[in-house]
Parts: sequence; C-alpha cells; structure tokens
Amino acid sequence: MNGWMGRIVTIDLGSGRQEELPVGDEMRRRYLGGRGLGVRLYSDLCPQPLDPLAPENAILFMTGPLTGTVMTSGRFQVVSRSPLTGTICDSSSGGSFGAALKSAGLDGLVVRGRAERPVYLAVSPAGVEVRDAAGIWGLNTQPAQKALQERAGAKASVACIGPAGENLVPFAAILNDRDRAAGRGGMGAVMGAKNLKAVVAAGDRATAIADPEGYREMGLRLDRAVDKNPVTGKSLQVLGTSVLVNIVNAHGMFPTENFRRGVFNDAEGISGEKIAESLLLRQSACYKCPIGCGRTTRTRNKSGEGPEYETVWAFGAHLGVSDLAAIAEANYACNELGLDTITMGSTIGCAMELCESGAWDAGLRWGDAGRLAGWVEDTAHLRGVGVDLALGSKRLAAKFGKPELAMQVKGMEIPAYDPRGAQGMALAYATSSRGGCHMRAYMIMPEVLGHPVFLDRFSTAGKPEIVALFQDIAAVVDSLVLCRFLQFAVGISTLSEMLRTVTGLDFGDEELLRAGRRVNTLERLVNIRAGFTRADDTLPPRFLNEEFQTGSSRHRVVRLEEMLDRYYAVRGWDPLGKPTAATLAELGL
Amino acid sequence: MAGTVEVRFYALLRRRLERSALAVDGDGLAVLDLLSRAEQQAGRPFLDEILDRGRGLLNGTMILVNGENIRLKQGLATRVRAGDVVDLFSPAGGG
Repeated sequence: MNGWMGRIVTIDLGSGRQEELPVGDEMRRRYLGGRGLGVRLYSDLCPQPLDPLAPENAILFMTGPLTGTVMTSGRFQVVSRSPLTGTICDSSSGGSFGAALKSAGLDGLVVRGRAERPVYLAVSPAGVEVRDAAGIWGLNTQPAQKALQERAGAKASVACIGPAGENLVPFAAILNDRDRAAGRGGMGAVMGAKNLKAVVAAGDRATAIADPEGYREMGLRLDRAVDKNPVTGKSLQVLGTSVLVNIVNAHGMFPTENFRRGVFNDAEGISGEKIAESLLLRQSACYKCPIGCGRTTRTRNKSGEGPEYETVWAFGAHLGVSDLAAIAEANYACNELGLDTITMGSTIGCAMELCESGAWDAGLRWGDAGRLAGWVEDTAHLRGVGVDLALGSKRLAAKFGKPELAMQVKGMEIPAYDPRGAQGMALAYATSSRGGCHMRAYMIMPEVLGHPVFLDRFSTAGKPEIVALFQDIAAVVDSLVLCRFLQFAVGISTLSEMLRTVTGLDFGDEELLRAGRRVNTLERLVNIRAGFTRADDTLPPRFLNEEFQTGSSRHRVVRLEEMLDRYYAVRGWDPLGKPTAATLAELGL
Repeated sequence: MAGTVEVRFYALLRRRLERSALAVDGDGLAVLDLLSRAEQQAGRPFLDEILDRGRGLLNGTMILVNGENIRLKQGLATRVRAGDVVDLFSPAGGG
C-alpha cells in the first residue's frame, strides 16, 4: 500500500488484549488519516459519550498518509473526548514522534482500558508491548523521555505525560521530542487515567511512494515555495511566532488582563523582536522542517524551549506581566510538568480577576511575575491554590460565582486574539468543535496578516463562508498530517498533488475539501451526541457586550448572531446547528 | 518632533534598519511618498521588504496609520498628517 501503512492496532491496557482494527480503502479515502480518521474511529468505538477519564474511553495516536514523507510530516494527532470540554478533541504535536510511530508500521494506535500499575507502550514493527513504568511514573517529562530513550535507543521517539497528566489535571499535555506538545484539551489526563506514562516508537518501515519521480519534483517545488515565501522563508525563522506580539497589539486586540483591554503597554518588552535579542540561543526545527519556528532560549537560571506567541501572551499581557524571563520559566515549567500553556495562563488570569473582584481571596495579583512558575508547579501537583487552578477557568469561575469571568468557549480557553478585533476569528472560536481554539480556522491569516488575501476584520460579510472553508482546509491538513504553517506558502492544490504522488490516488481539490467538510460535520455529530447545542456556539458576554475604550479595536463588539445562522446554512446544518439529512447523505455520514 | 510623522519599524524591518522608529517630515504626503522619504532618511533600503516590483503592497505587508490598515483606506495613496503614527510590518505570521 502506498502512503498508509495499512495497520491500526488497538490495545486494552486492562486485559492486555490487542488486535488489528480493520480499516477499508474507502474509509481511508474519505477520512485520510490523523484527525479525520481518528475522529471516525473514535466515533465508532465510543458511540455513546463516555467519561473521558473512564477506562473504557479510547485515546488514539494517529499518523497520516503523508507522515514521514515531505517536510513537516513528523507530526501526529491525538484524538479522544476532552476532559476539559467534553467535546471531541484532537491535539496536534510536531517533532518526529509521528514519523517514528509510522516507521513502526502503524497508521494509528488505539488505547483503551486502564492498566493496574503504571505502564508504557513500546511500539515497533514487531508489535506493541506493554512495559512496566515503575521508576518512570512521577518523573517530569524530560527525565522521563531521557530514561525511556536510553532504554529504547537513539532512534526511538517518546511521547509522555508529566505529573499533571498523572494527577488528571484536565488540561494536561503530552510532550514528545523534549518540548513539542500536544497541548490543548487535556489528552495528557486521558493517558494518566489509563496509567499510561508514555508511548515509545521506533522502526525502520518507510512510507511507500506511488510516484517517486512526481514526489521528488513535488518536494523541490515545496522547498522553493516555502523558501520564497517571506513568512515561512524568513520571518518565522528569524523571529519565531512571537513576531505576532507587536502586530496584534498594534491592531488593539492583544488581550490584556483577562481581555479587559486590547493594548498592552509593555508589548515591546515581550515581543519576538525582544526575544531574538535577549533570550534566544538558537532556532529549533521539527522533522524535515526547513522553517524552524521553534526557539531554544535561556534565562539567567534555566534553559528550554519557548516561549511561543500564545505562551508569551498567556503568561505575559494576559496577566499584566512584562518580565520575559519569568514568562519563559513558566513555559519551561509547563513543558516539564506537562501542561497546556494557554489554558494554564488563561486560568491564572481568570483567577486574578476573581481575586480583584473579591470573589476569591487566594491572593493572585496582576503583574506578579515572581509567582508564575510556582502556580504552575502547584497546579500540576494539586496543592495550595493549584487545587483550584487545576479546574481550568470555566469550572473555577463557576465555583466562585462569576462564570462570566472565564474567557472560554465550551470550556476551552480562547487564545491570544481578542475576538472583538476580528469578526471571522470570533465566529471561528464560537463554532470550533473543540472549543475556544484558533487552530480550527485561523482567521487571523486573512483578517490581520493578509494571507492569502486581505479581509476587513471588522466586517461580517462573507465571514461564515470563509470560516467554514478555513475549517475544512484545517481538517485536511490535520488529517494528512502536516504543519499548518505550510498554508502560508501553498494552497489546497499543492496538498492534493502531494497526496497523489504519495498514495497514487487522484484526489481533486473538491474531494479533499469535501473530506474536510465531512470531518467537521462528523465532529459536530459527536458533540451533539454529547449534549452540545447552538447555545454552546457562543462567546463570553464580555465580547458580545463590552467595548474597549482605547486602541484600534475600540468601540467594537462581536456580532455573532448575524453570522451564526448563515454559518449553519453554509454548513448544511439546520437553524439549531444540527446537520440536515440531506447534508449527512451528501457526505455519506 | 512637532510637525513630523512617526514611522515605526517592526519585525524584519527593524533588524534591517537597526532602529525602531524615525521622525519623518511628511505632513500631507501619501504613504508611498512618506516611505520613500523614510528610506532616504534611514540611509538603507527597506522598501523591497514591503513593496512589490510594481511598487504595490507586497502580499502580507501591514501598514497601519494610527492603528488602521491602509488597505481599508486609500492604500499607498492614503495621506498622512503631522502627528500621525505609521506602523510598518513586513510580512509575518505565527499562531
């Protein structure tokens, strides 16, 4: 078989039983791999909503048909039901773990059940082995990876959880290749609930290529496109993702102190430009990636990776903090302990506003840079104020009687773009299948950055159509599985051509986009089964009712209702947000 | 400086020019002319980072006048006044 390995293994950690999961050609063609195939299989394996932390819940580690081939194809997707949101969730991570898992001969690994004692899984072409994790359980992510790497050899790649995942913090991450993270949605807690510390993958299986000559030419074209594009060929390399700090701040939509303002006066001090001249040691790159957006940094005390843009914001402007070293060290702590930086920082910001309002007397104050890393530690280990911070912002704010202070959608904290400054981004947050996330449809590209075309960020006209299209393209990229940054340099036609040269199957652009639409619609169905309705496709009242008084996004609110009906219509969903029978028939769902 | 337009440089432009801002005598100028004057004043070329060969805006370039993108105004023909702040971003991305 070309492209795919043709093998997905499911293992029950309770019984130790494992078997191959049959997946036919038609299903691969319709769902591709990664997120798409993962969500399809999850939906089939867990047709009724399960407690995400229950033994019977499934977690899937998925590669895609392009994994281990072209640039950026070392990624993998983790799919399950999120303990943070209760929605379907997939979380993506870079590095090389995806390529290693595929080289072990797998398109995917499905884990169910709960081991009696802590274990890890060793995956190779010889099969999947359950091994004792005594001595590894309890370790932070870096020593855990190091110890497992020493046992498995230099070619192996390790994806593991830290103490946060072991302690079932609902926004625990999975770390691999040292500092790459499947961050969002608490997939680390799903692993922890299974007593599963890590998956170690290694192998020698190469992905078979249907059209080697065409593939080689396509690779050269891709190299040229990425090199020529000023974002992938220059900006991301030199300045990393935090170049966005000054850009988003200048647009008056850099969320400051829990989204109460859109301009952070100290933005320059935490910008990508500043990181490049202060903390940066070198850039770092994932598997076969010429872009290298990663930042290896050091403070006076420590070194590590990051901060990326979202993290600079979450521990910076969001908390009124302008101490770049403190932000970096909070980032390092999240990586070591296995926590999502966005939800962690956003929840601390929510806590600060709760404390300021008098609703909670835990003593968290705006700008208290010196305590950031300590709060992260407390959260991962469930001690002190960390017991409450580990709830995530939605449950925390509800506990203290002020649910409106949690800046979340469906329980997931929204990231570093205030939706009042970009109406399309607002609609994307509200309708994202995993909650308040920018990666389901990155409308900042057209609305702020001007890629591939420039759109008026304050207009709602045409936004439902474009959000749906962006969501579908994102689902395709997540299913292939590739890095989203390629989207700055290439379009859907290049993706379908890549897929053709690798698999030998002629996917036209239309078919590929229909696959993306199918994935988004299936995710909608899974969420409906879990009880989500139109009422959940909304934003915190702050964004719908309160205006900024300063900055270039002042005097604006999100006009969600005027976009939502149209969005549902574009999607082929009824006014309540349910896919119609005709839509299901058209997509074969 | 009174009577001038403040031109601020970000991202790769800042590294190229090794400065973050310039006060340009540009009251009443179109943005394109302001940029040419800023380039002369900076003493180093930088317009190739933000304009295409036909001297239109390069895809992804962001030029804000008092926080508003000139693509929503009159583009490079947008007039600036003394006291205005012009932010220049070469194409950039992240996420």
